Amino acid sequence: MAEIQIVDLKEDSCRFLLSDASESLANSIRRAMISRVPTMAVDFIDIYMNTSSMYDEVLAHRIGQIPLKTDLEKYNLREECVCKGEGCPSCQVSLRLNVEGPRIVYSGDFISDDPDVVPAYDNIPIVKLKEGQQLMLEATARLGFGKEHSKFQPVVACGYRIVPEITIAENCTSCMECVRSCPRNVFSSDDGKVSVKNILECSLCMECVKVCEEDAVKINEDTGKFVFYFEVDGSMSPETVLREALNFLKSRFTELAEMVEDLS
Amino acid sequence: MVVEERERGGRNPTGELTVFPVRCFTCGKVIGHYWEKYRDMIREDSPEKVLDSLGIERYCCRRMFLTHKEIMEEIID
Repeated sequence: MAEIQIVDLKEDSCRFLLSDASESLANSIRRAMISRVPTMAVDFIDIYMNTSSMYDEVLAHRIGQIPLKTDLEKYNLREECVCKGEGCPSCQVSLRLNVEGPRIVYSGDFISDDPDVVPAYDNIPIVKLKEGQQLMLEATARLGFGKEHSKFQPVVACGYRIVPEITIAENCTSCMECVRSCPRNVFSSDDGKVSVKNILECSLCMECVKVCEEDAVKINEDTGKFVFYFEVDGSMSPETVLREALNFLKSRFTELAEMVEDLS
Repeated sequence: MVVEERERGGRNPTGELTVFPVRCFTCGKVIGHYWEKYRDMIREDSPEKVLDSLGIERYCCRRMFLTHKEIMEEIID
């Protein structure tokens, strides 16, 4: 049974260890986090007035990229909503912007219909307005999946690495060549003996194996352990992203098991 | 002036963006909200130290800051 152990949890990033798993499971967790966790983002914009020096399209593109705080309990996916995809208060939120120069327009200037769905950061500059320039628009945000557009992706720089098993054989002469050659400081040379200190940092560059004249360093890549790292864009917490991704996988696997059951 | 500038899609004649991007082009990290802090802090410290202190680790995000030229001001006037 695969296990997950949180190594480092920060406000906007998470590092965890997945053990007793196959590479395909590790990859499916990564893919689920990237493209199967729904996230709020602006998807449709009505621009009533734009006399700024920026094109409507460029403005819309910038607004689309702003992460919005997402509460997955509160909103439905548009396709699964009771309104059948027409758009209603339980599947979309409208954010209004009505500003006049001279000023810098920030993401915090949006007035949202729902006080819980607001830009995750208040001070992202959107456009600079000169005196007399005016901006009046209504943006509609909805839930979407990362597979549709990367603005709906809750994670950034999400990836994993194999955690190897490094063994140092008896015939080690403590020449410390491996300690010196390692670019990620995996080894430690305390008490004149080589030992493995930061196994999670190892990038499998094999420099220690190449440099060892006695062939004392052995690296086993097939340990079933993976170290994951991902950052969130502010729309939800790292725990939520991970939990939602695992729930998605669980429902998919249950579905598959039921289908197999039906066949036999 | 304004019309000409809009025909270039928010870019100046050499193709630079006029305002700092919301996200990193490569990894998608939200960086827009760091810009004004960065711009003020580099007056006193080296960009390297400022980026380290802001927590911009990857070189894709770092180049967004280092290579940006704020020209919105020049274009507006």
